[in-house]
Amino acid sequence: MLADAIAAERFRLLRDRSTLFWGFCFAPIVGFMINIGGDLFLRYMIKKPMPGMTVGLLDQVIKAVAGGAGTFGALFLMIGAAAILAGDYRWETWRLLTPRNTRQNLLLAKLVVVGEAIFWSLALTAVLSAVAAILGSAISQRGLTLSMFGRNLFDLIGVVAITWLEAMTIAALAACVGVLTRSTMGVVIACLGLRFIEGMLANVLRAMEPPGSWKLLANPAYDADLLRAALLDPSQLGQASGSAGPALAVLLVWIAALAAGAVVLFRRQDLTKE
Amino acid sequence: MSIALEADRLTKTYGAVCALDDFSIAIPAGGVFGVLGPNGAGKSTLFRIALGLVRPTTGSVRLSGAAPGDITALRKIGAMIETPRYPAYLTGRDTLKMLALESGAKNADIDGWLERVGIAHAADRSTAGYSVGMKQRLGLAAAFFTKPELVILDEPTSGMDPAGIQEIRALIVDLAKREGVTVILASHQLDEVRRVCERVAILSKGKVVAEGGVAELTAGEARLRITTTSPIAQVLSVLGAKGAADGTDAVLADIRREDTPALIRALVEAGVEITEARWRDADLEGVYLRTLETEGAA
Repeated sequence: MLADAIAAERFRLLRDRSTLFWGFCFAPIVGFMINIGGDLFLRYMIKKPMPGMTVGLLDQVIKAVAGGAGTFGALFLMIGAAAILAGDYRWETWRLLTPRNTRQNLLLAKLVVVGEAIFWSLALTAVLSAVAAILGSAISQRGLTLSMFGRNLFDLIGVVAITWLEAMTIAALAACVGVLTRSTMGVVIACLGLRFIEGMLANVLRAMEPPGSWKLLANPAYDADLLRAALLDPSQLGQASGSAGPALAVLLVWIAALAAGAVVLFRRQDLTKE
Repeated sequence: MSIALEADRLTKTYGAVCALDDFSIAIPAGGVFGVLGPNGAGKSTLFRIALGLVRPTTGSVRLSGAAPGDITALRKIGAMIETPRYPAYLTGRDTLKMLALESGAKNADIDGWLERVGIAHAADRSTAGYSVGMKQRLGLAAAFFTKPELVILDEPTSGMDPAGIQEIRALIVDLAKREGVTVILASHQLDEVRRVCERVAILSKGKVVAEGGVAELTAGEARLRITTTSPIAQVLSVLGAKGAADGTDAVLADIRREDTPALIRALVEAGVEITEARWRDADLEGVYLRTLETEGAA
């Protein structure tokens, strides 16, 4: 049963402190430390309050969460995803698991747990950036407001959802690459490389293609940016204002197609050594 | 009679290497069944196919009547394939907890099994620090603790100390007899197979070359061992094709038990000095080696 496989995979991840820390906690903690460090540095250099400047709590949290699946965040998420999705090749433990549940359930459970871990990593990013905003306003003696741009909690939930979907496209790709390469390192290198190319391509194509063209929409990084813009500032979209729906559909199709591809590959794979 | 494992014209090739070659077998449910064969005979490939780890090139296999990977069949099966490996971040107890969750066996007696296989004292230590023997013991607990109907064991006692081997053999026999678990085990240790299994199959080059009850296979394999101070050639000249040298001071005579007095008389009349004549027990190792020799695989 899938529920059994998910429970087992979740149990494993909770015991794997190294993966939990490096994959899903390290990037949010580094973001937090950079924020606080920056505030301390400014305070130390300027040595006096900055009148008139205000910290927007939700603005800072939304900004931090939106960057959660950027190249830096993706690197660590991929380290975590690789350990979960391809760890059984490394440990040669498929022979222990495969006689206990179906292959489909085993791989889908891993993807579900990666999805859960990414969600908690984004939640940690949100909490730590909120703490950083509060501490930062105290350190630099700036005023603290909920938002300077009229953002609300629903905007934050929306950004978390969009960034989660963006990260899940990479996680689903990691599942495919993990099965194909049977290597955790292969997953990290291939997915990070692709995430970098994806981001670069989105920037290049933005200058060459009309907004909302299919070439742009096929790129998950572009879709996620477009959806965040549609949520936070629809006026930015211009010609692409009608593309939010297709962008969401493309993200979902990418996740479903890559996950299905990984399952099909895994079901046909010979585990001769593992 | 129900069938625990049935392979029908199973072939598995890895590139140019043929691991199983039109292989067919029907292993009955109940008792302990031994699978013997030299390295590369196809034992592990057979088990891997049966458990859904490897796909056959052609042919089919069924475990308790179900196809490999079938969830209802998987819930009735336990297995330990080759030297077990475990994620290094899990303790022995956590490994069994994780496997219990995976199998949906929420009420599995984890502590009882850790005790039964003799690693309760190391239950909360990381498996990374386990010796090979301890890993084998944990693997056996993992194979049995969900109360399966059929257990597949590949070299279950390799890496264990002699006392541990005896303990585990007794456990396997006990489970098969008292709890009605069908055990299929592959082993290189012929003595182990002889002591534990009721039936065996000998594999060579991906095919079954002999199959039957241990007593049945070894019947007719008993030999009269004659120790002598006379030259071996003199003894062999009396025995003819029925004799074979066994060291420098003995010969093995392949005769029927009722012919023993006549043979002794003939040897004495030929002037052979006999110091001892003793029937040597039926020997699975002899059957195994002779079978492989016949197949050109020894």
